[in-house]
Amino acid sequence: MSIALKADKISKYFYTPEKFKVLSEVSFEVQQGEFVSVIGKSGSGKSTMLYILSTMDTDYTGSLVLNDQPITGSSVNRLAAFRNEHLGFVFQFHYLLPDFTCLQNVMIPALRLNRISAAEIEHNAYEKLKTLGLGDQALKTASRISGGQQQRVAIARALINEPAIIMGDEPTGNLDSRNTAVVFDIFKQLAAEHNKTIITVTHDNDFAAKSDRIIEMKDGVIISHDRKPHEL
Amino acid sequence: MWKYSVASLQPINSLKRINMKTGINTRIAYTYMVSKVKSTLVAALGVTFGIGMFIFMNSLITGTNDYSEKTMLSATPHIRLYNDNRVSNNDMLNRYAGHRTLNLISNPQLVPQDNRIINPDAVAAKLRKRKEVVALSKQVTANIIYNKGNVQENGTIFGVNIAEQDKMFDITSNMIAGKTQSIADNPNNILIGIGLSHKLNLKMGDYVRITTSTGLTRTLQVSGIFKTTIKNVDETKTYVSLPVVQQLLQKDRAYITDIYVNVKNYNLATEIGNSMAQQTGFTSESWQQSNEQSLAGKKIRDIIANSVIFTILLVAGFGIYNILNMVIYEKIKEIAILKATGFQGSDVVSIFIQQALLIGFVGSAMGLVVGWLVSYLLSKLYLGLGNVTYLPMTFLPKHYIQGAVFGLLTSFFAGYIPARKASKVDPVEIIRG
Repeated sequence: MSIALKADKISKYFYTPEKFKVLSEVSFEVQQGEFVSVIGKSGSGKSTMLYILSTMDTDYTGSLVLNDQPITGSSVNRLAAFRNEHLGFVFQFHYLLPDFTCLQNVMIPALRLNRISAAEIEHNAYEKLKTLGLGDQALKTASRISGGQQQRVAIARALINEPAIIMGDEPTGNLDSRNTAVVFDIFKQLAAEHNKTIITVTHDNDFAAKSDRIIEMKDGVIISHDRKPHEL
Repeated sequence: MWKYSVASLQPINSLKRINMKTGINTRIAYTYMVSKVKSTLVAALGVTFGIGMFIFMNSLITGTNDYSEKTMLSATPHIRLYNDNRVSNNDMLNRYAGHRTLNLISNPQLVPQDNRIINPDAVAAKLRKRKEVVALSKQVTANIIYNKGNVQENGTIFGVNIAEQDKMFDITSNMIAGKTQSIADNPNNILIGIGLSHKLNLKMGDYVRITTSTGLTRTLQVSGIFKTTIKNVDETKTYVSLPVVQQLLQKDRAYITDIYVNVKNYNLATEIGNSMAQQTGFTSESWQQSNEQSLAGKKIRDIIANSVIFTILLVAGFGIYNILNMVIYEKIKEIAILKATGFQGSDVVSIFIQQALLIGFVGSAMGLVVGWLVSYLLSKLYLGLGNVTYLPMTFLPKHYIQGAVFGLLTSFFAGYIPARKASKVDPVEIIRG
């Protein structure tokens, strides 16, 4: 098994309102195909760490390797291209573009990547929506479907470029228990059957308990790399 | 909004053929615009009025300038060559005193001369050989007094070869009675202006007595009346054949005071005139030099028009800037997510610049129509002052092209500032809230 993510001594400071070390030499690895949950109390630095791993936050020290590619120090444009091709994101809020249909929302990252024809992208996007049980919602405007459906469209969007790594920031934080279960099953399946690496930050201990591995953080350090679900 | 089903993929495919990456940015820009169609239209209307005004102002100013140039050139030749009085020089003194001493004239005076063009036919022949000359007319002018009964009026009588003069000034088209050719046919005939005809109550066939400064008089018969609409010309200028004035001045048949020349490109009259002056040794005066105050008027009109246009375009630019700022403020989360999914800063700039250009394009297109419409309607506005019957208006493609270019440029710059701002959005800050 190859390593999908390798973080080495990542530290970060917040400067407002006063200088504060939010992450302190965090190091860990994630294998390809692993489903990892990151838990911890508010202010433990877990979200901050996720945004560093997501390549969107570049203001840190230490080094980050994703998919065997060194990330730290790359240009903003190269990072954008990397995210486009190799990373998928699911946030607490769906952040769909409300003026577009679900299908168009899913297609947008692939149109940006511009690797296959628009017709193929459209086909793939439709397949993704169908797999997530949204085939009949494809042509509805994104603002006109339910919250659970919106989150599944967001997942389809995260998957459209077949990224190796999917990152979630409280992906079920805004969903009821039924939709939470649906999203969890999707993640589980992606990791098990499609060998995707999944890293999600979550407050939901039940959700975390069912994942492959739990990383627990406290005050900017990892206090447990492999907490057993039953200990929760 | 573009709608398509999974089965019909034509709209995407056609976009793809242009460039798919530009395609997605364009489609996002387009969708954003359409979702705010009202404010888009308001911003576009700003450009429309700017460009419409630009076209109308330019058409009117060019029309006015053309009109005033035409008026100037109907009374002034492109170039006038004449023999000016000269300041006395050392030539004669040197000949008398020789070069043993340094000869200076302490207070040189103008030497009054016989202001004739020496050997006018040879000079005229020489000038006619120049390629740029299209018309040439020899003149003898004299300041005289017109008398009818006890009423007197001052004026200038022009002895001309009427065929040459007509070719230059198209007097025939200004005639309201009689024929220009009549003065060549009969040396007792005279062409007068409408103003003089009113002042002295002269009608066709009436006699008018003219008196020169030396007291010589002659009686001539009115054989034609012209109306140039330039009051000063119509009240003072009269035409007779060359020998009449030569006799009045008691000069020989070779006495010519001025040579008028028209050239192909009248904008170069000053330069060509200077070259003619060097060639012939006489003094030249171009129409620009004799109409400097009118040319100043033209410059001032241009400045006024340009400041008005600039102001309107600036306001239109602020309109676009405003709407884009609003769109960006509203869409900031979407910009953040686009950046999170791999859109670069340049893509975001492209999206919003394209929105601005879309507004500019729609606005400019409408502006061309509005500009033409306003110009057309106002070109039907009756003024009836002097010989300006209708508002002078031009319809030059140049102005419409310039208008469209200015419209798009304004939109581009007005869009660039908010677009830059949008491209700098930090997705982490927005998404984490």
